[in-house]
Amino acid sequence: MDYSISLRLIAPEILLSVSGLVLLLVAAWGGQKTGRLVSILSAAALFGAGLMLFPTLHLGVVGPDTFAFGDQFRADAFAAFAKALIYLAGIGCLMVAPTYFDRLKAMKPEYPVLLLFAVLGMSIMVSASDFLTLYIGLELNSLAAYVLAAFLRNDTRSAESGLKYFVLGALASGILLYGMSLLYGFTGTTSFEGVRVALSGEMSTGMLFGLIFVLAGLAFKISAVPFHMWTPDVYEGAPTPVTTFFATAPKVAAIALTARVALDAFGTQVDAWRQVVIFAALASILVGALGAIGQQNLKRLLAYSSINNVGFILIGLAAGTVGGVGAMLVYLAIYVAMSLGSFVALLMLRDENGDALATFADISGLSAKRPALAWCLLALMFSLAGIPPLLGFFGKFVVFQAGVEADMVALAAFGIAASVIGAFYYIKFVKVMFFDDASERSVADSTTAHWVLLVVTTAIVSPLGYLVTPSLGDLTDKAASALFLLP
Amino acid sequence: MDYLAQYLPILIFLFIAAGLSAAFVFLPMGVSRLTGAHNPDTEKLSEYECGFPAFEEPRSQFDVRFYLVAILFIIFDLEAAFLFPWAVSLDLTGWPGWITMMIFLGELIVGFAYAWKVGALEWE
Repeated sequence: MDYSISLRLIAPEILLSVSGLVLLLVAAWGGQKTGRLVSILSAAALFGAGLMLFPTLHLGVVGPDTFAFGDQFRADAFAAFAKALIYLAGIGCLMVAPTYFDRLKAMKPEYPVLLLFAVLGMSIMVSASDFLTLYIGLELNSLAAYVLAAFLRNDTRSAESGLKYFVLGALASGILLYGMSLLYGFTGTTSFEGVRVALSGEMSTGMLFGLIFVLAGLAFKISAVPFHMWTPDVYEGAPTPVTTFFATAPKVAAIALTARVALDAFGTQVDAWRQVVIFAALASILVGALGAIGQQNLKRLLAYSSINNVGFILIGLAAGTVGGVGAMLVYLAIYVAMSLGSFVALLMLRDENGDALATFADISGLSAKRPALAWCLLALMFSLAGIPPLLGFFGKFVVFQAGVEADMVALAAFGIAASVIGAFYYIKFVKVMFFDDASERSVADSTTAHWVLLVVTTAIVSPLGYLVTPSLGDLTDKAASALFLLP
Repeated sequence: MDYLAQYLPILIFLFIAAGLSAAFVFLPMGVSRLTGAHNPDTEKLSEYECGFPAFEEPRSQFDVRFYLVAILFIIFDLEAAFLFPWAVSLDLTGWPGWITMMIFLGELIVGFAYAWKVGALEWE
């Protein structure tokens, strides 16, 4: 094993972990006032790590050259694409946090440090090609995320959401670990490659159990139905910048990880996992669409919307083809932009006292008070609903196309039908903002960082986004091919 | 399938054990409910402590500092658990093994320094 090659392959992770440790010491010795400085340095570290991915992503490097430490870790184009999305989402969440926490006098330098460690965990997750690497990455991410959810520790809702997330997350980790140990017991190896070989041919009941348990554990992490019940509570209770983070980066990481596990480790048993993924996709789309209808709280509504979107993303995975995975990655990229934008908009919805405008009643008639914000939200909501000129439509189009090409016409048709149900509450958002009587609540001015993020994400989901779709499709094709190296 | 067949006796044993212990708990309750008189009142239902009314809530609150110390203890205890197998297999892992462990210890020391600096180790 050549260590210098391996170390070069994990350079982004090394950069993130070293800067995380250094910033932790800065946080300890510098005290509370370094919050903003540590945020900026963390964002810089994420940006630097992102730059390191560029060659891999651009050239679409796949194959044995990307295997580090005896194929426990793969720094291929697929991982690089997912990491780029994760780092960008992480930078976005670092940008919006200081203003929010400053208002509550709760900005601590630990926030960016924890976020950096969570991102590091995700970075390891998407590159994992061994069940142990997978587990280490997943736990590093989860442990940091539990603390982030409870970051406002004097706020009972935040503490509650942190505890809830921890208890259910620990249960999911247990299920995942149980599945991994079953697979290890029946195949005698923890590497994806070895499991793939051992699973080919007739599959024993024990292996099937292991496979299902692993998928159940991962379904919890991507909040796919029937393992979604924590999502609305945690999203509602956690501080909004943290919710923004939860809805973007960990979703990308967990979905990329699920795709790699399904197509690499379980690649010789496609029929066994496909039915599970199809069920999760259908159930997520349906529950996400129906569950959101009765919601009055905007954060809960967006939580259901994210469950709904996970269903559409899983259709791409269920196709199990290069095109399907490519479509899934395109959808993920668009989803990150949409969800980042809509949560930033929620962050900007506050009155002069700093209290959040949390329900539909609060935002009625927003267009009269803050037209720019209302129009940005309109674009984001129409994009989430998948209405044609906006980029959200393109994302849905490519996953349905991949589904149809993989002979899953019924699944695609169901998805289209259910997205019409989902359109109801997105359009309700627009109706309340534009056509209802204005509420009493005033809306405070927002900082430049919020506006920049909102305008950038709105521009991405607007028809302008179609300018980048050819190069995006190119990148995702290269990335997706990394999972289909073996027959 | 072979493993599952071997596991079956244990599974049956588990079910029998669970069934028996459930019977020990619920059978007397059921029998006494069916045979004895059953008219509870406030006095009968109140908790009982050596003839006195209960002095305090049975669920007492724990000082959070105990948890903090316990968690820090577990971290360093586990570190020691890693050190033993590393020490006896150092002739096999060689320099890479030594350097890896030093990096791990370095990271732990950073965490320790953080915990010390923010006052997690101070009792008052």
